[in-house]
Amino acid sequence: MTRRVVSLSLPSFATDRLGRRLAAADRRSGKAAATIDWRSRPLATVTARNGGLRLAAVNRAAAVAGAAPGLPLADSRALVPSLFTADDDPAGDRRALEKLAEWCGRYTPWTAADETAGIWLDVSGCAHLFGGERALLVDLAARLGRLGLDAAVAGADTPGAAWAVARFAAADEDGIAVVPAGGAADALAPLPMAGLRLPAAVVEGLARMGLRRIGELMALPRAPLVRRFGDIIVERLDQALGRVREPLSPSRPPAPVRAHLSFTEPVAAADVIAAAVRRLLETVCGQLAKAHQGARRLDLVLYRVDGTLARAAVGTSRPVREPDHLERLLREKLAGLDAGFGVEVVALAVAEAVPLLPAQIATETAPRGGDDDVARLIDRLGNRLGADRVVGLEPVASHLPERACREVAAAARKPSAPLPDKPRPVHLLPWPEPIEAIAPVPDSPPVMFRWRRRAHRVARADGPERICPEWWRETGEIDTGDKRLRDYYRIEDSDGGRFWLFREGPYRAGARPRWYLHGFFP
Amino acid sequence: MTAIPAYAELQVTSNYSFLRGASHPEELVATAATLGLQAIALTDRNSVSGVVRAHVAAKRAGVRLIVGARLDLQDAPGLLCYPGDRAAYGRLCRLLTTGKRRAPKGECWLALDDILGGGDFAQGAGQIVAAVPPPKPDAAFARVLKDLRGVLGDRFHLAVSKLYRGDDNERAAALARLAHDCRVRLLATNDVHAHAPERRPLQDVLTCIREGCTVDEAGYRLFANAERHLKGPAEMTRLFVDLPQAIANTVAVAEACTFSLDELRYEYPVDPVPDGATPQRHLERLTRQGAARRYPAGVPAKVEKQLAHELALIGEFGFAPYFLTVHDIVRFADSRDILCQGRGSAANSAVCYCLGITAVDPNRIDVLFERFVSAARGEPPDIDVDFENGRREEVIQYIYEKYGRDRAGMTATVITYRSKSAIREVGKAMGISEDTIVALQGVAWRRHWSDIADDDIRDAGLDPAEPTLRRVMALAGALRGFPRHLSQHTGGMVMTRSRLSEVVPIANAAMEDRTVIEWDKDDLDALGILKIDVLALGMLTCVHKCFDAIARHHRRAVTLATVPAEDSAVYDMLCRADSVGVFQVESRAQMSMLPRLRPRSFYDLVIEVAIVRPGPIQGDMVHPYLRRRRGEEPVDYPSAELERVLGKTLGIPLFQEQAMKIAIVAAGFTPAEADALRRALATFRHVGDIAQFRQRFVGGMLKNGYDEDFAGRCFRQIEGFADYGFPESHAASFALIVYVSAWLKCHYPAAFACGLLNSQPMGFYAPAQIVRDAREHGVEVRPADVNVSLWDCTLERTDAGAIALRLGLRQIKGLREADGRRIVALRGPGYRDVADIHRRARVGKAALEKLARADACRSLDLSRRSALWAVRGLDDIAPLPLFARADETPEPAVALPAMTPGEDVADDYRALALSLKAHPVQLLRAELAAAGFVPCARLLSIADGARVKVGGLVITRQRPGSANGVVFVTLEDETGVANLIVWPDTFERYRREGIGAALLGVAGRLQREGRVIHVVAERLLDLTPLLGRLEADAAPGAAGAAGPPLPVEVRDFH
Repeated sequence: MTRRVVSLSLPSFATDRLGRRLAAADRRSGKAAATIDWRSRPLATVTARNGGLRLAAVNRAAAVAGAAPGLPLADSRALVPSLFTADDDPAGDRRALEKLAEWCGRYTPWTAADETAGIWLDVSGCAHLFGGERALLVDLAARLGRLGLDAAVAGADTPGAAWAVARFAAADEDGIAVVPAGGAADALAPLPMAGLRLPAAVVEGLARMGLRRIGELMALPRAPLVRRFGDIIVERLDQALGRVREPLSPSRPPAPVRAHLSFTEPVAAADVIAAAVRRLLETVCGQLAKAHQGARRLDLVLYRVDGTLARAAVGTSRPVREPDHLERLLREKLAGLDAGFGVEVVALAVAEAVPLLPAQIATETAPRGGDDDVARLIDRLGNRLGADRVVGLEPVASHLPERACREVAAAARKPSAPLPDKPRPVHLLPWPEPIEAIAPVPDSPPVMFRWRRRAHRVARADGPERICPEWWRETGEIDTGDKRLRDYYRIEDSDGGRFWLFREGPYRAGARPRWYLHGFFP
Repeated sequence: MTAIPAYAELQVTSNYSFLRGASHPEELVATAATLGLQAIALTDRNSVSGVVRAHVAAKRAGVRLIVGARLDLQDAPGLLCYPGDRAAYGRLCRLLTTGKRRAPKGECWLALDDILGGGDFAQGAGQIVAAVPPPKPDAAFARVLKDLRGVLGDRFHLAVSKLYRGDDNERAAALARLAHDCRVRLLATNDVHAHAPERRPLQDVLTCIREGCTVDEAGYRLFANAERHLKGPAEMTRLFVDLPQAIANTVAVAEACTFSLDELRYEYPVDPVPDGATPQRHLERLTRQGAARRYPAGVPAKVEKQLAHELALIGEFGFAPYFLTVHDIVRFADSRDILCQGRGSAANSAVCYCLGITAVDPNRIDVLFERFVSAARGEPPDIDVDFENGRREEVIQYIYEKYGRDRAGMTATVITYRSKSAIREVGKAMGISEDTIVALQGVAWRRHWSDIADDDIRDAGLDPAEPTLRRVMALAGALRGFPRHLSQHTGGMVMTRSRLSEVVPIANAAMEDRTVIEWDKDDLDALGILKIDVLALGMLTCVHKCFDAIARHHRRAVTLATVPAEDSAVYDMLCRADSVGVFQVESRAQMSMLPRLRPRSFYDLVIEVAIVRPGPIQGDMVHPYLRRRRGEEPVDYPSAELERVLGKTLGIPLFQEQAMKIAIVAAGFTPAEADALRRALATFRHVGDIAQFRQRFVGGMLKNGYDEDFAGRCFRQIEGFADYGFPESHAASFALIVYVSAWLKCHYPAAFACGLLNSQPMGFYAPAQIVRDAREHGVEVRPADVNVSLWDCTLERTDAGAIALRLGLRQIKGLREADGRRIVALRGPGYRDVADIHRRARVGKAALEKLARADACRSLDLSRRSALWAVRGLDDIAPLPLFARADETPEPAVALPAMTPGEDVADDYRALALSLKAHPVQLLRAELAAAGFVPCARLLSIADGARVKVGGLVITRQRPGSANGVVFVTLEDETGVANLIVWPDTFERYRREGIGAALLGVAGRLQREGRVIHVVAERLLDLTPLLGRLEADAAPGAAGAAGPPLPVEVRDFH
């Protein structure tokens, strides 16, 4: 059976995606989808480069108006006043492209995203299901168009030829390009050298020699070419012409640490799968130990016999490479996975790993570390309740006491910010409570104060510690905010109770100072 | 109530502790005076760079300034130093010099041992020191205190501050106990970082800039409150109610510090004089000898009289050693065959001419020695000398060598925050986004800071009412003018008789072998310290190269002084504005002035140089002068007294001296006031003063019967002069170089072009225009070639006996000089092929590829492509010569596509930035003609006011500050150049074309004034895509595969 490959080129994928997002947002907000046709509006994504903002990608409407990738944002605004821009998101684009590649699975199981905003489909032997290759391509192009994606599609004998034709040759009246079997050489000859997927330096080097079209390359003796431009040049040519086979590698970027286990026959029994998971964990943890790393996130994939997938992911609050701990976490997830008609392959990948130095193996008698136990508890609670529902306190570097800590997900706690080097109360009131206080002024602590209707006689006091508000958070008039500075005093009353009080604002003769209670010392 | 005790603030950090202090020294000193402090010390970190400003401000405000510094030791707490007398100050400077000279630029490495150890810093009665306690004073600190007390005795103190930290009293009590135990006196300070509490936001932003974080991230790195500002005696006494002695001690220290910067008596270095003569006698002798050399036919009486007058004045003020110093430097340059010429007011001196410092014959201009050495001001003369660009470093190193690093140093320049940098840094600290910063910078670029209105910010797409944005603009406004670091002045050298390092600390510069003092030229000026500007001038390099070439190829010896004077052929050429490459008068503005002014004598050139400057332009003096010169307007004078001032320039003030003289003669200023006016304008330090001066100036002139319009124009002109002042003498020095370079261009065009090319980068024009101009003047220009060219461009004799210009390998873009020179040195009888170069010259493939791409292998019978093919085929590492050719198997021959002329020219531009084969526009002429574009040369025959379309490569773009935003663009095609005038609104509309286009088309109206032709642009068109057509024949539809579009070198001037 001859091989047939389809290449899909999505030259404005980033901006098309942006347009789809905008249209979706419009729909959600109840606007009629027809009010703004985002596809015909000039759109661009923007990236910060060389100390300025530049366009990263533009759609057709923007390109027609004169915008081009690399143009400074300010210039492009002058050029295309109606240009709508958003930050570029290469990682998001990549993920979306992978998703689209999976979506293309409706035509063939063999799909792969390429490096250049494109997708390959190996349609060998399955085009007849769609009424032939031409019909398949027309259907594909039409569906992509409905998705709001600008696309060029081409079919050929080889991935290389299809790739080049999709990008550099003109489409036929159906908006597609089909290179007949055996016709790769003729189709490629007039196309520019860039069609060979060569590194830019090689393309430029060839252009300097006057070699700009693929056909000119075919005519030349090979040895001198290889000597000057490396093996890649004949490799790409041979691949495109089908002289050597170029396999398409499946989508999904490979994780660096991974393992998989294939069963000779499909398996559905939970305990067999659990045992397989345990073996994979041991393998993976061994790899992690060698790399001095620990896992923060694990992906488990069960490849079912019907070609569908079942996935589970677990996260940990600190790097881990102990199979026992990870197994406990995975077991809870495994219970929820459906083996369907049976599982052929179990694969386990470390989706996120961070450095973890080798630890000494504890002896039986050594006490177990308290920290470790807490971490384990957090992991188990987090995987059950949701990682963001288990919270802890984290210090924040700020002079303002009420801003000096915040709640964060316990699993996400980072090495902490420094603690203030001044004494701070153990119990801080959610907000300062006004009190009545009697103080000889200025800069003196009160001699007595009344809080919640109870009078306290001050026995000892220390202070003041003057703290100014954070002027950059003030919303009103631009000033230094020092009208609301605070003078804090540590107070001990005659009963031995210890308080943290402050007076607001600088001392002004005649004005009645306002006093507050803000916390308690032990 | 008892009387308030006196208090002196002795711990003050100004903004000369970069990114730490939040106030200018002037603000601190003025506030100290208002608060009624006994005295204020300036204690910047390891630096005294702010003290001169503080000193000047303190004298004005009437408050005592204590010169000090804070030593930040690497292994111990900081020490505040207050030198009590001149000797102690000298030792402090020397210690700082030691610390700075052992550290890289901008740092100072000092340790406790530098104070306790062998040095003499702590010796002597004058040095008063206070230790700054660490956050947690511990036993180690107590030990340090005891050790320092051991060497400093009762001149040693311990600083204590009450900063509202919560434990102030506890901490002060602990420090008091420690001071008692160590027998050290307590000194109250407020660790001042700002003159007023309102500076807290700026203080926080400075901290963020220093720490590279945003205010949100800064946390405990910020001060918790705004207490570190200057406080008055009453407040300080209240704070230190428990330690009154600490307050009293500040007054004692202030009284013990009697040192003032006024005591720095500057002394010129005195070179040893032969035969035990006095410097004055020696100078007279040298002057007489020089005069005899300059005037072999006998010294003219006028010069003789001038010399006697000058020598008498020099003797009276004792300036002879200074003249001898400059003479020595010039003599050194002479001995090394380095061309030099004094510029500026030195040209007003016949003595300088006789000593060989200047080259303008005093017989040719009116010298005004008083401008140079002012009897009234009693100020030292200011001699600036230009040296050849490439060789100035030799002169600087000679000065270091001669005087030693301890007695000579380069002047500093204080680099301050400008609008753009202030917005960037404040914006980053406030955490606003990159595009907002860029937009705000754009606003600041278009408007003067004080003119920025809310509407401008709104136009930039931002909301001016948004609080963060308002804070950014307010804080950036306050940060503008803050010093950010010290750099080196372009050439000001300071030399002293005694140790310079005891006058001011000396630090390492970023450049190797350079040492820099901590003060800038204004500081030196304020203290009357003399500097010599050792400047670099590219044209002198070029002129020197031309002289050498003329000597070699034409067997004619010429020097600056012997170039034939008043050659009418030279003036004819200049009147035609045929001045590409000529010093100063090659700019667009000068080129359009030349045919209008029509210079016929040397003095006309002096005026030509001076007239195209912001002063005369802003003062609207240009057109009246031209009208009078052409006889279209009667020459009259506003008064008889001004006739004396303005006689030379037909009643129109054109020179700086004239503007100053008007202030004196017509507005009633004293000479000192006129000078103060010039300085006030030049430094922009006291903006309020300018309005006052203006009122006095215009008022004075009105009172003396001048009309208001004339008075206003004169003042505007002084404003313009202040920044870019061109005194007559300076213009005369430049005019001489104008004349010499014009003479070279006129008579030796090949040598002149060769000199220009070998002195690049320099001047207004890129090599392409220099080559083109040479060819238009009949010079044959030959291509660069591996077997013929030297590194530099050279002259060759043609078969016909003419002189041709051979391009050097230096024209090849990206070729390293070392590689180029090795190819030349190892060439022997010539290279056979590229492998031969690779092997023998041991030049890498990358360099060979550059040669091939420059089409420099024609002598090897290789076309550009076949040479490139051959280079690519070489091994990566050149085989050793012995093993050459051992394993070489012949390759199959490869036929590469031939180049089209368009491709050839495009590749020439890529590799050489010029092409001798054709002009790119020539190849596009058919298409341009079809679109209605006429060649530039046709403009000569088109009527004034007609609509025209021209197109060409953009060679220069200029937006002069004096032209209200008008942009001048010069286009070039195969027939010549077209000068465009683009009005600001047109430019804004076609901004992208104006900035982005390499090949620009313009539709506009022709404007003709005599021989001067401009096209006033109405529409700009980006024709750059046409350049792609050059290579289109080779690769239709394959855009992008041909490499970058044609690179055209554009020179932008602001």
